[in-house]
Amino acid sequence: MPKPLSAIQSYGLAVLAVSVALAAALLLERYNFRGVEFTVFLLAIVVTVWYGRTQAAVFAVVFAVLIFNYFFTEPLHTLYVTRAEIPYYFIFVFFASLLAWFTAIRRRVERELVQSRNELEWEVAERTQQASLLDLTHDSICVRDMDDVITFWNRGAEELYGHRAGELVGKVTTHRLLQTVFPAPLEDINAELLSTGRWDGVLEHTKADGSGVVVSSRWSLRRDEYGNAVAILETNNDITERNRREHEIRTLNEELGKRAAELEAINKELEAFAYSVSHDLRAPLRHMVGFTELLKKNAASLLDDKSQRYVTIILDSAKRMGNLIDDLLAFSRIGRAETHMATLSLQHLVQEAVTEVRQDAGGRNVVWRVGKFPDWCGDRSMLRLALVNLVSNAVKFTRTRPQAEIEIACVDQRQDQVVLFIRDNGVGFDMKYVDKLFGVFQRLHPREAFEGTGIGLATVQRIVHRHGGTVWAEGEVDNGATFYFSLSKPQEPDL
Amino acid sequence: MSTLGRILIVEDDPNDVELTLTALEEYNLANEVVVTRDGEEALDYLHCRGNFKARSNENPAVLLLDLKLPKRDGLEVLRQIKSDEKLKLIPVVVLTSSHEEKDVVASYKLGVNAYVVKPVDFHEFVNAVKELGIFWAVINESPPGSMKKN
Repeated sequence: MPKPLSAIQSYGLAVLAVSVALAAALLLERYNFRGVEFTVFLLAIVVTVWYGRTQAAVFAVVFAVLIFNYFFTEPLHTLYVTRAEIPYYFIFVFFASLLAWFTAIRRRVERELVQSRNELEWEVAERTQQASLLDLTHDSICVRDMDDVITFWNRGAEELYGHRAGELVGKVTTHRLLQTVFPAPLEDINAELLSTGRWDGVLEHTKADGSGVVVSSRWSLRRDEYGNAVAILETNNDITERNRREHEIRTLNEELGKRAAELEAINKELEAFAYSVSHDLRAPLRHMVGFTELLKKNAASLLDDKSQRYVTIILDSAKRMGNLIDDLLAFSRIGRAETHMATLSLQHLVQEAVTEVRQDAGGRNVVWRVGKFPDWCGDRSMLRLALVNLVSNAVKFTRTRPQAEIEIACVDQRQDQVVLFIRDNGVGFDMKYVDKLFGVFQRLHPREAFEGTGIGLATVQRIVHRHGGTVWAEGEVDNGATFYFSLSKPQEPDL
Repeated sequence: MSTLGRILIVEDDPNDVELTLTALEEYNLANEVVVTRDGEEALDYLHCRGNFKARSNENPAVLLLDLKLPKRDGLEVLRQIKSDEKLKLIPVVVLTSSHEEKDVVASYKLGVNAYVVKPVDFHEFVNAVKELGIFWAVINESPPGSMKKN
């Protein structure tokens, strides 16, 4: 529909239409067509009414009357109106007004028609778009009447169930088609739907290909203007996969729980075992040592040198076994004990370890180089034990050096990790055997040269692992060794 | 030595009994020693019942208690003693092979007077027993009602 003209444009149109009518009338007059001027001017008025505004139409009527009077009534070329002409003009104005009125009405009717047509078109477009939007969604949507007959079936439903809308709408009942399995009696579900207007729950359906599908279903009740229930909108989401995963997770969790319980049982057994070892293994050892000592004392005069040596060997071996048992128990305790994480000063801890080992080192000539360390989070007694083990190792394996040099420092300090090292100029080790260093009872040196049970580094490794870190070593035979260990920062230290 | 308190040893292992007695003998502390072989017998002794019906009704000056015992274990004996009005004053020393933390904690919670781990080394063992004997049977002033020998 064309845009209505503005006021100026309307007046312009009136002038133009009347001028064109004048030109046409003059032309007709020239060719001796008389008596049609009147009609030509009426046409100009109709055009003005049709396209212009009402005021412009009134103007056109007045203007046309003046022009007509000037050019076509006697005396010509004056605006003089004779008495006899007055009714004539009245008829003209009346006729023009009537025409303008009818035209205006027609125009209005036409406009309204166009408008309602447009509205209708818009609504159709909107509806079509909405319907296609319902097809766009991944949800399966169906509408059924109160007799369960399907009245709408979107593309999502087609895709989910494999039934085409064309085959179903108006012909098939939902529950029979999908062989719905309800979580509750259908009467109860319908009762809830009727009372609250909605229902949701989990349904099992059967697809066109016979396979099952689990859906999360939401029903909404539609009522007409009198409040009568007329339709049910059902939206179904396929949750088969989700259900399967949930089931899987549940199974895994149960499995995990079982494993945890098993592990706890094993741990308990281990604890009982360690407890028993600590009691029962030491007693016979004590008796061996005790009675051998008594034998040595009471029978000293009867034993020759060789026998005396045997007695000494028995005693030494028994003592070594005692140490082994103690170390093993300590080692197993580290695996079993709970860690008590707290913020601590590594600086103090290193200093403590050095002081402790130094006392045992006696009058040895050792040059200590101790660096700077940050505060960190860890189990104090465990870390202390690890440091003491490493430092005393350094002292032990530098024993053959006229001047021992031991350096303890921190190399890599990041937000979440710190790396400490202990370097000595001792006897070192062959990198070939680096993998054996941290094993239980693994020794790289003859017992006669360096005492020890071979559990110290295994203990260090276990402690470091319990702090989420790693431990490694570098060394060269006769050229010192460096032991590194990292500690990661726990996310939430239980202070 | 003015007085010598009676020492009650509760120990099931004959070897340990012998070693302990040897150590005590070495320092002339063995005259007033009574050995019971399990928790039941120890409680019988303390309550003067069963085999000990005839004994004079006095408490020992100290009780050396092993933890791993047949029938009633050491912690059970300790609990009984410390919850009995007549016996709770008897000093009890746990003398055991283990230094498992939970045993130490449990013993102190029950009110033990001392906790000693038997050293594997014989000399240390003898020394420990001697010190215990001298301290509890001689130096320590026993609670009233204890058996003392002049």
